[in-house]
Amino acid sequence: MRPILLQGHERSLTQIKFNAEGDLLFSSSKDSVINVWFSHNGERLGTYEGHNGAVWSIDVDTQSRFLVSGSADNTLRLWSVQSGKCLYTWEFTTAVKRVAFSEDDEQIVCVTEQRMGYQGAIRVFRINRDGDGTDQSEEPESFFNPIGSKAVVCAFAQTPNLIVTGHESGKIALFDAKTGEEVLNNERAHMDVVTDLQLSVDRSYFITSSKDKTARIHDTRTLMVIKTFSTETPLNSAAIAFLKPYVLLGGGQDAMSVTTTSLRQGKFETRFWHKIFEEEVGRVKGHFGPVNTAKPYGDLEIED
Amino acid sequence: AERKALQLRKAIVARRRELLSELSVRKEKEAASRRAEISRREKDEEQKKAVEDAKRRELERAKKEIEAIRTEEAKKLAQSLKAKGSLKVDIEDMENLTSDSIMRLQVEQLEKEKKDLAEAMRVASKRLDHTERAYRKEERPLLSEDYEV
Amino acid sequence: GFDEDDIDYSDIDAKYQVQYEEGLDNVVVVDGVPVIDKSKAEKLLARIAKEFGKKGSNVKADDMFIPWDEKTGKSKGYLFVDFKTADDAVYGIAALQEYQFDSKHRFYLNRFTDIERYASLDETYHEPEPEPYTTKEHLRAWLGDPQGRDQFVTYRGDDVEINWHGKPSQCEVAYSKTNWTDLYAQWSPLGTYLASLHRPGVRLWGGSSWSHQQRFAHPLVRLLDFSPNENYLATWSHDPIVVPEGAQQGPQFFSPEDEGNNIAVWDVKTGNLLRTFPSSYPEQDADAGGGAGKKPQMPWPALKWSADDKYVARVTVGQQISVYELPSMGLVDKKSIKVDGVVDFEWCPLGEKDRDEDAKAVAGKGKKPPRQNLLAFWMPEVANQPARVTVMEFPSRQIMRQKNLFNVTECKLYWQNQGDFLCVQVDRHTKTKKSIFCNLEIFRVREKDFPVEVVELKDTVVNFSWEPKGDRFALVSSNDPNLGSSGPGVTIKTDVSFYAHDRTKGNFRLLRTLPGRTSNTIRWSPKGRHVVLATVGSTSKSELEFWDMDFNNDDFGKGAAAKDEWGSGIQHLGTADHYAVTDADWDPSGRYIATSASAWRHTIENGYAIWDFKGTEQSKQILDRFKQFVWRPRPRTLLTKEQQRQIRKNLKEYSRQFEEEDAAEESNVSAELIAQRKRLVDEWNAWRIRCRDELPAAIKK
Repeated sequence: MRPILLQGHERSLTQIKFNAEGDLLFSSSKDSVINVWFSHNGERLGTYEGHNGAVWSIDVDTQSRFLVSGSADNTLRLWSVQSGKCLYTWEFTTAVKRVAFSEDDEQIVCVTEQRMGYQGAIRVFRINRDGDGTDQSEEPESFFNPIGSKAVVCAFAQTPNLIVTGHESGKIALFDAKTGEEVLNNERAHMDVVTDLQLSVDRSYFITSSKDKTARIHDTRTLMVIKTFSTETPLNSAAIAFLKPYVLLGGGQDAMSVTTTSLRQGKFETRFWHKIFEEEVGRVKGHFGPVNTAKPYGDLEIED
Repeated sequence: AERKALQLRKAIVARRRELLSELSVRKEKEAASRRAEISRREKDEEQKKAVEDAKRRELERAKKEIEAIRTEEAKKLAQSLKAKGSLKVDIEDMENLTSDSIMRLQVEQLEKEKKDLAEAMRVASKRLDHTERAYRKEERPLLSEDYEV
Repeated sequence: GFDEDDIDYSDIDAKYQVQYEEGLDNVVVVDGVPVIDKSKAEKLLARIAKEFGKKGSNVKADDMFIPWDEKTGKSKGYLFVDFKTADDAVYGIAALQEYQFDSKHRFYLNRFTDIERYASLDETYHEPEPEPYTTKEHLRAWLGDPQGRDQFVTYRGDDVEINWHGKPSQCEVAYSKTNWTDLYAQWSPLGTYLASLHRPGVRLWGGSSWSHQQRFAHPLVRLLDFSPNENYLATWSHDPIVVPEGAQQGPQFFSPEDEGNNIAVWDVKTGNLLRTFPSSYPEQDADAGGGAGKKPQMPWPALKWSADDKYVARVTVGQQISVYELPSMGLVDKKSIKVDGVVDFEWCPLGEKDRDEDAKAVAGKGKKPPRQNLLAFWMPEVANQPARVTVMEFPSRQIMRQKNLFNVTECKLYWQNQGDFLCVQVDRHTKTKKSIFCNLEIFRVREKDFPVEVVELKDTVVNFSWEPKGDRFALVSSNDPNLGSSGPGVTIKTDVSFYAHDRTKGNFRLLRTLPGRTSNTIRWSPKGRHVVLATVGSTSKSELEFWDMDFNNDDFGKGAAAKDEWGSGIQHLGTADHYAVTDADWDPSGRYIATSASAWRHTIENGYAIWDFKGTEQSKQILDRFKQFVWRPRPRTLLTKEQQRQIRKNLKEYSRQFEEEDAAEESNVSAELIAQRKRLVDEWNAWRIRCRDELPAAIKK
């Protein structure tokens, strides 16, 4: 494997996403800019400018037509992948921490932060794909405030109208998007805040990472823990590799505490673990700054 | 008629002589020019050869010089490596060696040393392990005796 | 040395009524508990569990049972506690006995069996049933391990674990226990006992079931030191001994005349207290600088045992060395050794040959009387007197050798472990006292008149270490200007040098210097020959270097064979790195060395690693809250010199057997691993297929 260095953000990355073909890579950052790159050579193709705060989360649809982003500027934005133009902006009262497309590209889900007297909320918007994309409904198709611990990450489960969420307490849960009802939960999925949640291709299982130094694979229907990957550092991100039976884990302390403690204390490696044997198989070193997000390069998605 | 025939013969002879002498002059001329041509060519060739020789000599001289520098460098390298104690070959054997081959030799030698070291360590490790295990094995039957005392 | 600051000894309750009686039951009745109704039960139990916890007794709310008065619906003012073992129960009783729970309630704890007995007390006397005879456990059973493995103890969080260490497939946990100790775990010097430290005192454990072997009721004990042959134990507590009214009495307990003392000497076999002493701190050095308000470091061991367990001695700095006879603890000849200005002393260790001669003398076959104990001590320069090092024979008190020294800042005494050499590291200052340099004064105590050799060094010696069973030593020296002003981020540059005894000339000569290092720690293999140099306590460097002193000498075990070139056998075997390493410890066989990063020093990547003698990593465990790793020592081998020689001679035969065993083992292991992996893959695939089959149905729903 040959690493390609992407230099274009002034502050740390928050999330990276490949498109379905794997030829484009989107990255969001705390510097309020979204970048798109050719994944084969790391050449920057363009930027999506307009946010006025850290961009916390991005997702791209399966046709590489629309990009959605959530930001600390309290907006959710829809972009044209090709032109780089912002097509529509939804405004909220708090920051948008996580966004994701549905499998059929028809819906997006987002989590807004619980803050200053505002409850955390999950909203699902139906995307009008006809026309140039600027004609969107301001109103969400569904809206609810998840009960209990703050939701921090979310995605569509394999079943329509079911949202899988990860929470500050370490809980993971399934919510009915229509009723806002918590259908199922696993309170003890993690012992500390869930930092990432990524689904398998068929959405039948997903991986979560946590500050509790573990990553886990769960069954999407039962939320049972299938596999556990135990490390010695708080994890920021976890991803499922295509083609190979690996998962990728990224972690480390953030830059703030790194400067005040020993350089070594933050472990900035991306680490490869065997998905089934739960054993570490390799590391990629050399980051300065924590790995906040990890997603393997691959242009083929196979059933696994 | 006889006289007339004689006169004719004389005239023919004279004519022949004339032709002959003309011929010989011409031949002479031709030969001279041929000779001149040859000598010119020869001269040219000689000159060419001289130039080529000079060139070749110059080349050879340069080559020798480079060779000498190379050998000198190789010697220096060999000497420095020897001084460091990492090369264990006699310099006298290496008059004909170049820096490249010394380098290669050096790499080979380092690899061999590494291999030897690894092998020696493997053997030492086995010996250490087996000695200790053998001691313990033989000590085991003595333990209960020791305890009863 | 032991750093006091590492141990938290706050929240101390002075009331300890220590009761050490053997009991068979594990149920304790707690009287004096507040009477409550059922709604408050949970809260009360949680609080009581916490109080037990504070005293180091592990009790959960679930372990307690409150009897209720059916009529009133209130509790009866007492409750039952189920301890895991009878031992834990005894400890629990001691922990909370007469504990003032709140202003109105004081706890009284009794074993359930006692109350039962008193309640149904039969007035007529019965002859007590003789206790069933139980064969005492073989305390050295671990030496008989069929695989010949060693053990080590780890302490992490509240868990103490005894582990077997062998080939990868043979590594396993032998025993583990939560809250086994409250401070740390310590092996006795021959590995027979594991000592744990608790608020009521020290406990010794042993045998293959790790049963309780002995206890020493020294409340708030913090440090302990066994005699070399495990016959005696010295303990120390920061808190002076207090004997409360009604405290248990007997040979195993303190009596009023021990009050105010801090150090106690015990007999390991009987558990009897032999004598107590006050702590003696060294006088505060006015020149120490920045020392204002800082407590002087407690010198430990405060008492030093002679190698044969016959004597124990203590120094009164500036005045005398007092030697006591064991086990009577009487001052030998009723007088101390008066040495004006004496600072420190060390007993000479016993060598293999001394032990052999002792054994012969006991058997009546000795040709000459065995060597007496030797005592080395030193005193600094005073007025017009030079500093002086003395080697004295004991008990004859005959002075064997004395050496005067000048411009001395400090002396350190290092005996080689066979008692062949004594090295006195003399830190000297120039006339202006501006810089420090060092002389090594090496006494050859096996030779007539103890000849002394001087090795002069330009730099400050940071560390010195004799090769065990050898005639070589290693030292770390430095001329780094930062030396002595070490702070975070400062790494001191050092040189490491090896010296050896040149038998032809009799002196000690430099073998080799490794310049420009950062190593500050020398760890010789207990068998000699191999040595590891480590950079310990640095935040930026943590290198480990593995060296062999006799690389050319294949016939090891036989001692030094023909040495071709001076120092040419020194070979670098490997380099490794253990980030933020705080300790390094060889196994008793000299095959492996363990390095650890202890949470007592820092909280970065705590855990341990095990390496072989050439620096190949065997295992590495990163474990948060990891505190301690110690190999279990082994007693001296029972094999005679001749038996050992025979084994070495026939090593080929043994090797063949071991190779076969190892190969069989290995194929076994890999087969197991393959089977295990196949099982995991099968499980995964089965689950995936199930998911795929059920997926359409799930989506339709």
